[in-house]
Amino acid sequence: MSGLRTYAGDRAPLDRNRLHKHWRHLRLWRRFLAQAVVRETHYRAHFVTTLLVGLVQFGLGIIPILLLFGFTSEMHGWSRAEVITLAGMYQIVTGLMAAFVAPNLNRMTSYLTEGELDAVLLRPVSSQFYLTLRWINVAELSNVVSGLVVLVIGLAKSGATPNPVEVVQALALATCGLVLLTAVWSAMSFLAFWLQSVGPIGSIYLNLVEAGRYPLVFFPVPVRGFLTFVFPVAFASTFPVQALGGDLGWWPVGGGIGLAVVALTLVRLLWQRGLRSYASASS
Amino acid sequence: MNTFVRNARVLRRMTVADIVQQSIYRGAWIIFMAANICVPIISLLIWRTAIANGAGLPVDEQYITTYFVLLSFVTMATSSWMTGFLADDIRLGKLSRWMVRPASLLLGFVSNNLSEKFLKAFALGPMIGVLWWIFRASMKIPAGPGRWAVFAVSVVLAAVLVFTIDILIGALAFWMDDVAALAQARLIIASVLSGSVVPLALMPDWSRTFVDYQPFRYTVSFPVEIVAGGLSGSDLLVGLGIQLAYVLGFGVIARRVWSAGIRAYSAVGA
Repeated sequence: MSGLRTYAGDRAPLDRNRLHKHWRHLRLWRRFLAQAVVRETHYRAHFVTTLLVGLVQFGLGIIPILLLFGFTSEMHGWSRAEVITLAGMYQIVTGLMAAFVAPNLNRMTSYLTEGELDAVLLRPVSSQFYLTLRWINVAELSNVVSGLVVLVIGLAKSGATPNPVEVVQALALATCGLVLLTAVWSAMSFLAFWLQSVGPIGSIYLNLVEAGRYPLVFFPVPVRGFLTFVFPVAFASTFPVQALGGDLGWWPVGGGIGLAVVALTLVRLLWQRGLRSYASASS
Repeated sequence: MNTFVRNARVLRRMTVADIVQQSIYRGAWIIFMAANICVPIISLLIWRTAIANGAGLPVDEQYITTYFVLLSFVTMATSSWMTGFLADDIRLGKLSRWMVRPASLLLGFVSNNLSEKFLKAFALGPMIGVLWWIFRASMKIPAGPGRWAVFAVSVVLAAVLVFTIDILIGALAFWMDDVAALAQARLIIASVLSGSVVPLALMPDWSRTFVDYQPFRYTVSFPVEIVAGGLSGSDLLVGLGIQLAYVLGFGVIARRVWSAGIRAYSAVGA
């Protein structure tokens, strides 16, 4: 480094330590959220449209469940009310994904092929954090609220009365589901480093995630393994609802946290690998 | 030269050119088709589980399996995605350029539709083949080529019907600023009433008459039903007759609306 000529003076590092770095990123994310809320107030019709489309799509998604339980009163130990609770949980997690993750990962192709990543790399921010969480679609949170309403209705109809421990377990598992799905979708999107266009890969994610509308036991055993460990949508719907019913202990929660840590580490490694192969698109 | 022959030659040229251009994205088509087949597979597994669990469905396992294995092919073969593009071309004035050309703008959309489906069929074919092989024990294979021929005719009619409905909605852009909401509403309604989400045979009894005779059944469900079973010879004839009537009916309406639109068009962007 001694041969490098620079005209900038010495500066203190931006972050005193690792904790400060995380705190700075959290503050930055709060700014992104505030900006997204302000932006949404400018497009109120967009909010209403998103709400209506979300409700209609939710109704559409629940039609097969209602028809299914028109022919049977229970399936593999799941009643209609429990599957409706699961539909609510699925709506909450996918709503959160649509609000906080989807607006970013949908832009991955343009970030990489139009050179927008160049500008991000110059900024004093973790580029992976920025590309995954910069944009927020506040209107999608309306789907989270509708999911919550359906979840409560489902719980009331099934007569479940979860205690605080079960609620904590369900929350932990749903958070694991959110993190795991984000990791899987991110990994799929980061393939843009090598494939250039990942729009079609996003559609694979959006179609596969539909499996989360149904309890895991509705699928054959090999598919259950796939939906738990490879495309872990079971953590976003089935496991949290089972926890609310008091059917799960702490083991699945521990497993979910372990799996989430492994997934995040792998995605981080994939990102770093991709970044090394990135040769810029704009210059 | 007669107009039909000239249009056919133009269409052939444009389709070949489109296929060459679109084949650059062959990797994307394979991934798109893999995505396309996901939801029918999920539905297939769920409904098979329901049958195995003793649910009293009005159809058997063979019907459900054949239905969902064929569904993604028929959905692909009869799909159309032109409404938004057509509305944009009208609204932004791209139509003006086509009006001085010796072919209709709609011919461009036909060639785009055919070329993409040609490439998609190559991508989707092997996937359906694998799925068919996995569930071969529960697949219903019609005896003789007759049913397959009727299936092919019905798929073509269904594709024409979907395309015609698309023209009809897209052409409303001659008078409306934004047809996106209308197109979205139609997509949502069609996904339920065409049988793309759940086989129409599983719809409740009280909706039977309406479900059987509404036009969206003839865009996806009816061709699949021809192979999956449940249709007698007379059902088949009546169904084909209704399908043809819808194609002609919507065709006449779309042609009138398009002609009226062309007359009302004020050449935006020219």
